[in-house]
Amino acid sequence: MPSCLFYARFAGVLLLMSLLLGCAASPRLNDSTLNNLPQEQLLKEVPFYAQRDYQCGPASLAMVLNAAGVNVEMENLILQVFIPGRKGSVQSEMLATVRRHGMIPFPVEGSLDALLTQLASGQPVVVLQNLALPAWPMWHYAVVIGYDLPTRALTLHSGEISNHEMSLSRFDATWARSERWGFTVLPPGSLPKGIRPFRAIEAISAFESVQGVQAALPSWKALVQAHPDSAMGHFALGNAHYALGEVKKSQQALERAVSLDESLGVAWLNLGLLEQQLDNEMEARQALGRAAALTGPWQAKAQEELNTLSHVN
Amino acid sequence: MMKKLRFYMTPLLIIAFLIGSMPVAAAPHGQAETGLVSTQAALNADSSSAERERISEILARADVQEQLLAQGVSLDEVEARVAALSDAEVHQMAEQLEQLPAGAGGVIGALFAVFIILLVTDILGLTDVYPFTR
Repeated sequence: MPSCLFYARFAGVLLLMSLLLGCAASPRLNDSTLNNLPQEQLLKEVPFYAQRDYQCGPASLAMVLNAAGVNVEMENLILQVFIPGRKGSVQSEMLATVRRHGMIPFPVEGSLDALLTQLASGQPVVVLQNLALPAWPMWHYAVVIGYDLPTRALTLHSGEISNHEMSLSRFDATWARSERWGFTVLPPGSLPKGIRPFRAIEAISAFESVQGVQAALPSWKALVQAHPDSAMGHFALGNAHYALGEVKKSQQALERAVSLDESLGVAWLNLGLLEQQLDNEMEARQALGRAAALTGPWQAKAQEELNTLSHVN
Repeated sequence: MMKKLRFYMTPLLIIAFLIGSMPVAAAPHGQAETGLVSTQAALNADSSSAERERISEILARADVQEQLLAQGVSLDEVEARVAALSDAEVHQMAEQLEQLPAGAGGVIGALFAVFIILLVTDILGLTDVYPFTR
């Protein structure tokens, strides 16, 4: 969808937009954000690469990947994410490219509070903006590298401008039109500050399917440490251990998952299948029975497995 | 305005519940080669937990909380009612919220639908949220 335009001929439109948006009220922030975060933050270590033509996607990626310690040139990224016909890069391609470079992209929660929280924790955020109006979109990727609460402003590496200052209200108006889409880039084993469990699970799982279980394992461990109550987190960790042949650890994690959420049928099912492979017939029967008793997408499969077990003996 | 909304909502709700109560015909096929169900397959088969989290995220937004307060609704109340929704209803609500992401106004509209859903289900005797329907 997005194709980024940052042409001088649009400067007049932007100026008009600024005048229109200049009177917009400053967006609200949560009290916890105002009270707990530092008053200002500037991530000076994030390098700046000026975009050429329409290539704000590759430029933004190069900035955050280099900041995260990945040694990659913008030239290579252009080949990987830029789609010439669309004069831009699509969001899924941006995330996929991060994964290809061994890092995990975590989509941020769509709120200014979440954005500022990431910056305060030291993470630059790639954001998608629509600089013009919904009916006439002008999509643009930029990297937010800092904020200033007293003046209600953000600092961005954007297009051909480094350390571009923008008021929170104008930024939010342009960001809201992309449904407040953005992401941070972290190495396996690290999680963004304050991330909710399912958001993290989805990001790690997508990374795992590209880079493999071994690469994702540190992230699953970090996840259950940050969210010890997440049954789905322990389920995912159990699956990762199993795929690496660590049967005992897999069993422990799956048992933890079902003890945290007795209605997680898929965890009962996997526990049952594992016990079956370990020839623990009684345990297998018990776990599969629990899975078969729960309505949901895995009920039929669990019943089938349970029947097979009964036939054998 | 409310009357009009109710007029349109009722047939929609009946259809929604009919669809929601139909048995799931196709079970997902997401077997990993190892024999265990993969994490990705589990996530694909059940999106309701992720959707509940999305709704919590939206409720955590300052502009949404401000609007709720302006309508005289407490956040705790909304959270309790969202927790009482079935998976199918959560899915419907998350979809509605996703289509109206930009302003708090649309979000409040979608949240308001929850109140109406629960009001109707209360009257039908399916749920028990509003004491005044008894």
